Amino acid sequence: MEENVIIEINGLTKWYKNAAKPAVDHLNLAIRKGEIFGLLGPNGAGKTTTISILSTQISDSEGKVTVNGLDLKKDADQIKKIIGIVPQDIALYPTLTAKENLDFFGHMYGLHGKALDDKIRQCMQDFGLEDRMDKKIKTFSGGMKRRVNLIAGILHNPRILILDEPTVGIDVQSKIVILEYLKNMNKNNGITIIYTSHLMEEAEQFCSQIAIIDEGRLIEKGNPAKLIEKYESCNNLEDIFLLLTGKRLRD
Amino acid sequence: MWLKYIASTKKEALLLLRDKAGLAMLFIMPMALVFIMSLLQDSTLKKLEEQNTPVIVINQDTGSFGKSIVEGLETAGFFIVSQQINGKTPSEEDLRQLVNEGKYRVGIIIRPGATEALRQKIKYRIKQQFPEEERKLLDLGAISDTTLPHVDVYFDPVTKSNFKHAVISALRQFSAGVVAEMVFDTYADLLNELVDIQLKQAGGFDEMIDFTQQYATPEKKNLIIPNSTQHNVPAWTIFAMFFIVIPLAGNIIHERESGLSMRLKTIPGSNLAVIMGKTTVYFIVGILQAGFMLLIGMYILPLFGMPMLRIGSGLFAFMIITVSVSLAASGYGILIGTIATTQEQSSIFGSISVVILAAIGGIWVPTFMMSGLMITVSRLSPLNWGLNGYYDIFLRSAGISDILHYVLLLLSFFLGCIFLSYLYNRYKKMKS
Repeated sequence: MEENVIIEINGLTKWYKNAAKPAVDHLNLAIRKGEIFGLLGPNGAGKTTTISILSTQISDSEGKVTVNGLDLKKDADQIKKIIGIVPQDIALYPTLTAKENLDFFGHMYGLHGKALDDKIRQCMQDFGLEDRMDKKIKTFSGGMKRRVNLIAGILHNPRILILDEPTVGIDVQSKIVILEYLKNMNKNNGITIIYTSHLMEEAEQFCSQIAIIDEGRLIEKGNPAKLIEKYESCNNLEDIFLLLTGKRLRD
Repeated sequence: MWLKYIASTKKEALLLLRDKAGLAMLFIMPMALVFIMSLLQDSTLKKLEEQNTPVIVINQDTGSFGKSIVEGLETAGFFIVSQQINGKTPSEEDLRQLVNEGKYRVGIIIRPGATEALRQKIKYRIKQQFPEEERKLLDLGAISDTTLPHVDVYFDPVTKSNFKHAVISALRQFSAGVVAEMVFDTYADLLNELVDIQLKQAGGFDEMIDFTQQYATPEKKNLIIPNSTQHNVPAWTIFAMFFIVIPLAGNIIHERESGLSMRLKTIPGSNLAVIMGKTTVYFIVGILQAGFMLLIGMYILPLFGMPMLRIGSGLFAFMIITVSVSLAASGYGILIGTIATTQEQSSIFGSISVVILAAIGGIWVPTFMMSGLMITVSRLSPLNWGLNGYYDIFLRSAGISDILHYVLLLLSFFLGCIFLSYLYNRYKKMKS
């Protein structure tokens, strides 16, 4: 195994029932500790399937995945302890307050008492939500919900954070707060971040490494700046993305 | 595990408490249902029991026979006897029409001279007992074999044959006393004539045997007489308890649709605490529902002229069967929530399946009104197991040991539902 690699994916393949082709097709990836790794691709490329497998939500059909040296199939419970998930959906209870939601998820991770209270208060403050602590989630704006959705995934101080389009559909201010917070987490705590997005400009600025996948297969991988250098005809990551994946509509 | 369980229970309780519509469905709607259905079914059951059956009588006989029939009907305790409509004696045509319209379930016309005809008939029969040559010695007047005294009985066309048989038997019983007295009087006259012995007036020939009525309940002091409240309150309570299937299944599907379920699955440890938290809250809801229904049966229904619900000596048995029904309902809700893929599916399938289980389980129509096949089918419904358990407690003063088989069936149903949910989840995970 390559040094500092925290996630290693070898020949990962996933077939859904009755599907004509695999959602993920012999994918090979190595993600190093402390990277902000962007998993990019058009709709149906296999991004969400890949992170669903990594986060133990679904099982693979073929291949081998290790997370922090642990086998994903054999040590799922150990792996769950070191990963945090921020799903694309707002996975919060709308009729509970932000505090009640975060209390619940904290307790589910085995946190309790003052340590949990302090963590919640600190996170809410960091995300500019300290005055919304006792308000129901259903009264929050889209950006506020996204921020609480993120907090619920980091309460237990995960070593790996998996985010599925964390900034989709929110205002610029919320997006900046979220990305800045994640960058600080990565810088200060050495947390590894795996992130999917359709937003190429955002990925170019945010990620230290990216992988572009299409039809379940890896088609390019590297540092965004270096990739832009590599593809001379391209001015940015979006150009590279379109060059590699084409302009054909996907669904 | 305990921390997770407590957190999950608290979360479910908060979600439920903030769902006003859900709370109304769980508590107000069932209470209204118990109240309305008890009132509706009370009259139906009274009809079924043939209590206070309205009877219209035209008594054209002026003698003791007609009088005895009317008095017998009036004192029997289960007929409401009318001899006049709007202050007037109805005609025969009126009587037939009133019975045909169902305003009276029975119409009786006692023909004129029935008493005299009966007396003549008795004398004739007694005279026939004596040898030909002795008959001339007796002063029995010019007796001939007259026609039988005649009573016409009309029934509501919807009346069942067993009820008709019961009414005719009652009329025969009321007339038996008169016949016996006439026989006695005739023989008394003969004795007086033949041996000059004056017998005293006798009566009470219709009460020569003491029939003691009692229920086959072991504890006489706690004997509970069955009534409509004792059917309706437990029946609709069980129905309401099983209706938690809809919010419970909906809750599970909402978690799945909103991504909450996925997030929970990525948390280390078993998902059991989450399921237990849901079960606990909805189990407590079921217990509270049963408590409220019990209070309605004890304190509200009697205010509206309904019989009071009494538990008798089986309070502990009542609690055990209530716990079992509530667990069974929670298990069913979890199973529906696991299998259904959308909120619509769960609410439609959940509600229709509960209504079907209630219908075959004797909630809507008591099993004693069902045909043999349906009685057998009813035993497949968990609602029937619960209802029979309550019946045993309310009507037969049953203790724990008497209802144990129902408790075991309900708990097995609960565990079966949880096990099936677990298997289905595993199957889905393997397929995904």
